Amino acid sequence: MERGNYILRKVGFACLTLVAVVVFNFLLFRILPGDPVKLIIHSPRMTREAQARIRATFGLDKPIWFDGERLREGDVLGALDTQFTAYLRNLLRGELGISFANRRPVSDILAERVWRTVVLVLGGDVIAILLGVSLGLLAAWRRGSRLDTGLLLTALFTWALPTFFLGIILLILARGHLPTGGMVTPGLRPQDGLVYWLDVGRHLILPTITMAIVYTGEYILIMRSGVMEVLAEDYILTAKAKGLSTFRTLRDHALKNAMLPMVTMIALTFGYTVGGAIQVETVFSWPGIGRLMYEAVQKRDYPVLQGAFLLLAVSVIVANLLAEILYSVLDPRVKAE
Amino acid sequence: MNRTASKFLVIWVLAAILLVAPVACGPTPEPEARPEPTEALAEGAPAAEAAAATEAPAAGPAEPVTLRVGTTYIWDTANPTIGWYNYGLRYLLYDTLVEEAGISHFVPGLAESWDVSEDGLTWTFQIREGVTFHDGTPCTAEDVAWSLNWTIENEIETFSFYLVNFAEIVALDPTTLQVTLSEPVGNMEYLLMYVWILPRSVWEGMDYDDILEFEDLSAGIGTGPYKLVEWAESEYLILEANKAYWRTTPAIDRVIYREYATEDAMVQALLAGEIDVIDEAPRTAIPTLEKAANVEVAVMPSTVIDELILNSHEEGSQPASLNDPAVRLAIAYAIDKQQIVNVGFLGYADPASVIIPTSMGDWHNSDIQDIPFDPAEGNRILDEAGYLDRNGDGIREDPDGNPLQYRLYAEDDATETRILQIISDGLSQIGISAPPTPMDQDSLIALYPAFDFDMILWGWGLDPDPDFAMLIFTCDQRAEGGWNDSGYCDDEFEEMYRQQAVTVDHKARRELIWKMQEKLFEDRPYIVLAYEEWVQAYRSDRFTGFGLEAGDILWKAAFLMARPVE
Repeated sequence: MERGNYILRKVGFACLTLVAVVVFNFLLFRILPGDPVKLIIHSPRMTREAQARIRATFGLDKPIWFDGERLREGDVLGALDTQFTAYLRNLLRGELGISFANRRPVSDILAERVWRTVVLVLGGDVIAILLGVSLGLLAAWRRGSRLDTGLLLTALFTWALPTFFLGIILLILARGHLPTGGMVTPGLRPQDGLVYWLDVGRHLILPTITMAIVYTGEYILIMRSGVMEVLAEDYILTAKAKGLSTFRTLRDHALKNAMLPMVTMIALTFGYTVGGAIQVETVFSWPGIGRLMYEAVQKRDYPVLQGAFLLLAVSVIVANLLAEILYSVLDPRVKAE
Repeated sequence: MNRTASKFLVIWVLAAILLVAPVACGPTPEPEARPEPTEALAEGAPAAEAAAATEAPAAGPAEPVTLRVGTTYIWDTANPTIGWYNYGLRYLLYDTLVEEAGISHFVPGLAESWDVSEDGLTWTFQIREGVTFHDGTPCTAEDVAWSLNWTIENEIETFSFYLVNFAEIVALDPTTLQVTLSEPVGNMEYLLMYVWILPRSVWEGMDYDDILEFEDLSAGIGTGPYKLVEWAESEYLILEANKAYWRTTPAIDRVIYREYATEDAMVQALLAGEIDVIDEAPRTAIPTLEKAANVEVAVMPSTVIDELILNSHEEGSQPASLNDPAVRLAIAYAIDKQQIVNVGFLGYADPASVIIPTSMGDWHNSDIQDIPFDPAEGNRILDEAGYLDRNGDGIREDPDGNPLQYRLYAEDDATETRILQIISDGLSQIGISAPPTPMDQDSLIALYPAFDFDMILWGWGLDPDPDFAMLIFTCDQRAEGGWNDSGYCDDEFEEMYRQQAVTVDHKARRELIWKMQEKLFEDRPYIVLAYEEWVQAYRSDRFTGFGLEAGDILWKAAFLMARPVE
């Protein structure tokens, strides 16, 4: 019952956050300087009528919040025919508008690309988690040793390394052995079966390694400090006094408690999965959501950006919610708060 | 306790499975798994690349010749009626009545020849015989007329504005097209250069929304030298030679465009031999490319200019002193254009004088001597005009005591920021304070309509016809949605603009264009800083014969001229 309440509260809070995000996401693209239509129109010769028609196509001819003029005329429903209500109406139908650049529905574009990003980030993330947790544990266990110092320095170095810099260095090092970019060799199709998937795998190696290196350092640092904190606790001393082996002490008493901050970290990383690969996808020309956002910024394709931001926000909210629920399962103290 | 432990196990197992999936694909050696040798040529295992390249010609005539082009342009759509980033593709798929061969040099396209009546209102085009679209349907004068009329009726936003003066378009017979204009135009060849001739068989019967939302690959059907075969958004395009192309059968059977998100990765791909040509090399990578074996760098003139905009709007927020011709002249003396070229553009540009770049041939007014970098002369002019530093703070004041202090803006990219600093330093040498202020592009663009700035560093990629370069100084363009960013508006200039637009005779029009450049040079709404160069690079061990004289390796005819290296 107690846990039910806790979960209900957290879900309610997540929903509130979502509403705020939806409104803010709309606002964000309206307070930017410049006229979006000016950004779509690339020709100085386009007639004013044609410009007006583009405005109408994207619903930019309507007022933003409410139509004051029609309200004064007593037309309440008409006054609500605005960009904001159109945005909400579309959202409820699962539509995210159409791209300025190629007039395709934004939801289609996102759906096409989201799995590519998920594959890339999950791969990198999982390697980083496995490596980070094991190495972090090792460092904490061998605290003060040369191994610990080495791991700590390496972790700090990779953690501080800018992603795009690391990416381009790996790209130069692997030049001639691995593809420099893209997802697949032009001409191959999923129908080609194994050949296609092996080719995709080959293209995945460099970006995955980059992602893994960048995240591993962070995980090592968090894991190391988490375990060290736990090792200083009295119950560890008790466990040692009971004559438990080092392995059992670590596994049964230290690891589980030290994992709590890691769960937060992992959940957050997964939350950013969808948008967190902007730099890696850009360096390796990987056609996922991150690259889409990068290109949409360059093209000022606001509907695409708006859709991608929403997807990103939703995934962060959902991941946070899951982390909080998981917490209540892992740590009985949490739900009592 | 036990339940939570098992949950951990589940997480670990899941993680392990996910980890294994991508890694298992990774190190598998793969070249022999390729479906056919064609694919290997297209993008062989890079290690085997050099071998593949030399083996290719020996493999016999059945081997298709593939040119792999790297680009950082973002291509959105196969639909030519929308999207602005696909020009490089479109001229391979479609033809126009007139084509450009080198900057501002026009050659016949689908029109073999053309004539204009005395009054400049009736143009008669002889349309090439025997031309067919990729789908086999013929392209006669009637089809051309249909395509042009369709473009106008549907106000195709990407190119219908070139046809604003076209009142009537009819085919007199299968090879004769007659165009009646509402008023004469001085740049017919240029106007027709971007108007793609599209097939009736694909586009007829669609309403406006259908046209804009048309996504099928058949949107790529034209009469051009290549057919669109495959499109993977943000990844690559595959084009195949149109064997029935009217000019000649292309020597390159297949063109693969690969999209890169960064120029650095694209340069690496060229060095690795994964691609054969890059359509734009970053200036910082040129030394590396020049040192690389088997890579040839091509530096060509472009129509990109960089300029300092001086707010010239009579109701703009600039200080009154900035409107004084003496101050403007002094500013011109304080700008070190050679240093801007050397430091800002790393040498890949030329110091500029007038708005029309030298690359545009005889449109460029070569009589005008540019103001040299001479801060002493700038100081002398300001002294003489009564702008003196009365309070000894290093900044001059106008006779009313207002300091010569200006807002100097630019976009916040690396090149612009370097140039901004050079300009600011130069101005301080003549007692003008203009601290450099970089900002993002959108904020910068938002400043124009209100004319709320003093000086902005900006650039234009100009059209090959001088009309556009002049249009941006006309009064009408100051209104919202216009392109006049300096606020300049002058009756005399306006009159010359109107005249050149309707002057059909090249010599007479050129004379006007030269006078207009002179006028702008003296009034200085812009101080033009540099004419940029365009740098491309290609694998000289794979291909040769690109027509570099055209100012672009990858112009249409280059795909017909380039040959694989034997």
